[in-house]
Amino acid sequence: MKKQVIIALGREFGSGGHYVGEKIAEYFGITYYDRRILEDIAEEKNIRIEYLEKYDEQRRNVFFSRSVKGYTNSIEEIVAEMQFEFLRKKAASGESFVIVGRCADEVFRGDERLVSFFVLGDLEDRIQRVSKQHNFSREEAAAMIARHDKSRKKYHNRHSEVKWGDSRGYDLCINSTRLGIDKTAKLLEAFIQERTGLEPAKK
Amino acid sequence: MVVAQVLAVVIFIAMFVLVVMEKIERQYLTLGCGAVMILVVFGIVMHSPDAIWKTLNFSSFFQPDFWYTASEAAESSSGINWATIVFILGMMVMVEGMAKAGFFRWLCLALAKLVHYQTIPLFITFMILSSLLAMFIDSITVILFLAAVTVELAKLLQFNPIPMILSEIFCANLGGSATMCGDPPNIIIGTSLGYSFTDFLVNTGLIAGVGLVAVIFYFFFAYRKELASAGGGNVDLSTMPSPTSAIGSKRDFAFSCVIFAAAVALLATHSATGLTVALIGLVIAVVTLVVFWKDALELLKKVDYKTLLFFVGLFIVVGGLEQTQVLEVLAGFIGQISGGNLKLMVAIIIWLSAIASAFVDNIPFAATMIPVVKTLAAAQGVDPSTLAWGLAMGTDIGGSATPIGASANVVGTSVASRNGYFIDWKNYCKTAVPATVIVVTISMVIIFVRYC
Repeated sequence: MKKQVIIALGREFGSGGHYVGEKIAEYFGITYYDRRILEDIAEEKNIRIEYLEKYDEQRRNVFFSRSVKGYTNSIEEIVAEMQFEFLRKKAASGESFVIVGRCADEVFRGDERLVSFFVLGDLEDRIQRVSKQHNFSREEAAAMIARHDKSRKKYHNRHSEVKWGDSRGYDLCINSTRLGIDKTAKLLEAFIQERTGLEPAKK
Repeated sequence: MVVAQVLAVVIFIAMFVLVVMEKIERQYLTLGCGAVMILVVFGIVMHSPDAIWKTLNFSSFFQPDFWYTASEAAESSSGINWATIVFILGMMVMVEGMAKAGFFRWLCLALAKLVHYQTIPLFITFMILSSLLAMFIDSITVILFLAAVTVELAKLLQFNPIPMILSEIFCANLGGSATMCGDPPNIIIGTSLGYSFTDFLVNTGLIAGVGLVAVIFYFFFAYRKELASAGGGNVDLSTMPSPTSAIGSKRDFAFSCVIFAAAVALLATHSATGLTVALIGLVIAVVTLVVFWKDALELLKKVDYKTLLFFVGLFIVVGGLEQTQVLEVLAGFIGQISGGNLKLMVAIIIWLSAIASAFVDNIPFAATMIPVVKTLAAAQGVDPSTLAWGLAMGTDIGGSATPIGASANVVGTSVASRNGYFIDWKNYCKTAVPATVIVVTISMVIIFVRYC
């Protein structure tokens, strides 16, 4: 039986983290999860997907939410917990996968199957990528990056003891600007192979 | 004294803000703020061992009145309200025993079966059940079981459970206002001001009864479209969960029913028997632990000590406001605005309590307002009970207005959302705010007519 590996990948907005994650999953022939897990949750619980997307990776509003005995009225936190539960179930089923975001580094912290990365990038490089991808002006791209990074940071730090992007919380932090996205993915694949012994998928 | 007052207010506000932030568990916050209050305000600024001793209030355990009172009115004291702590601890042990025996789930399923799983009768039955149970059991437990069964039935019978859960939440808070033991603010008001179970039942209980009739009609009309379109029609009723499936052990179930009935009887007669709520709580806990002796350790472990510690810290902080006479300033202010007019005083207290409780935890609010009510009544020469009923109804019902106003709201909306039936602020407030305004207005009018 193939060894089980859970690869958690945190990322700055526009750093190419998604693409790196997809490349790694393809290389090892394992499942790739990102916000698409919402589709599975929506189907399982019979919820409208747009509703889940609205609250995905968002931080609770401190003045409009309260917790009582582990219960919370914050839909942001409930959607986050649904995703954590989904990931735990997948891990328990023995499946290997790459998961981008969703605080997976925290969900599986201490688990020996976990390999965690954080992909960052130079701001200028990220602005170029985002403006090209979304056909945005430089200012629009910079604003979008700032907004998403702020939201991801708050979301992550709400659920995790380790701060978002703090190198002490990940196996490896890497700046994708230095090597470019493809080579960054290659480097991480080599790291995973060395650390876990996971073999690449046969072509 | 001014320095002590300013510091006491700063500690109190800091505690409130930190509780809202939820960065640190709330029991550590109140205990921490309580410790600062004792050390800095009472110790360093006031040099008053007497204030520390009065606030810690350990001596109350050794007073006969704490356990048995010959006169109808119990002694009122300031500082840590140990009677509340002991009573709530006892009720928590009993409720854990009842939950383990399957009592709540059995009751919900049995009533659903009784009304043949029809949506509208189920809707009304669960509202009444929620109110009746919440008169004696904490509203979190009531909603936890009711909302879970509602979601389960909604999936089987194919209806949207949100209208039903929102109505159940409102009724749990309303039911809690009817008795001394229904909602924590009431038990604090009762033990601090010396009112009995019967006092509450004939005063707030009557108001809650009228309010319940009004909200049943209100929620029925508010949700009439959803209720009319509910139900698949082709559901096989034999697939419904059987009430008896909820019962693990018949012996445990029978005993839990007897203990619950005995607790209700003891509470209902405590002004006549002289047994205090602290003694009743202790007896209930001991009997439950003896009956469930095999699971006694498990039941004790399940007790929510965090909430009890939260109360202890809270009482110390409020004791700080009391000892530094800050609350007398607030009482004087209300007295000044009302100009000695009792109706205006009641209106201010009930609406201030309702609006504040809609956004902040109603327990600290009630604990803070009790000394205000006492001082205000003494200064203006009015009956404190009139203001106390206003305070009880305002805090208990005001908490229903928003998803964060009371614990039952948080638990109920959370259970629904976890099952995919999301309840956001807009959904919640759309029906809860008008219902709250209706019941608070009814309460105010009844208090005006009966006592002013």
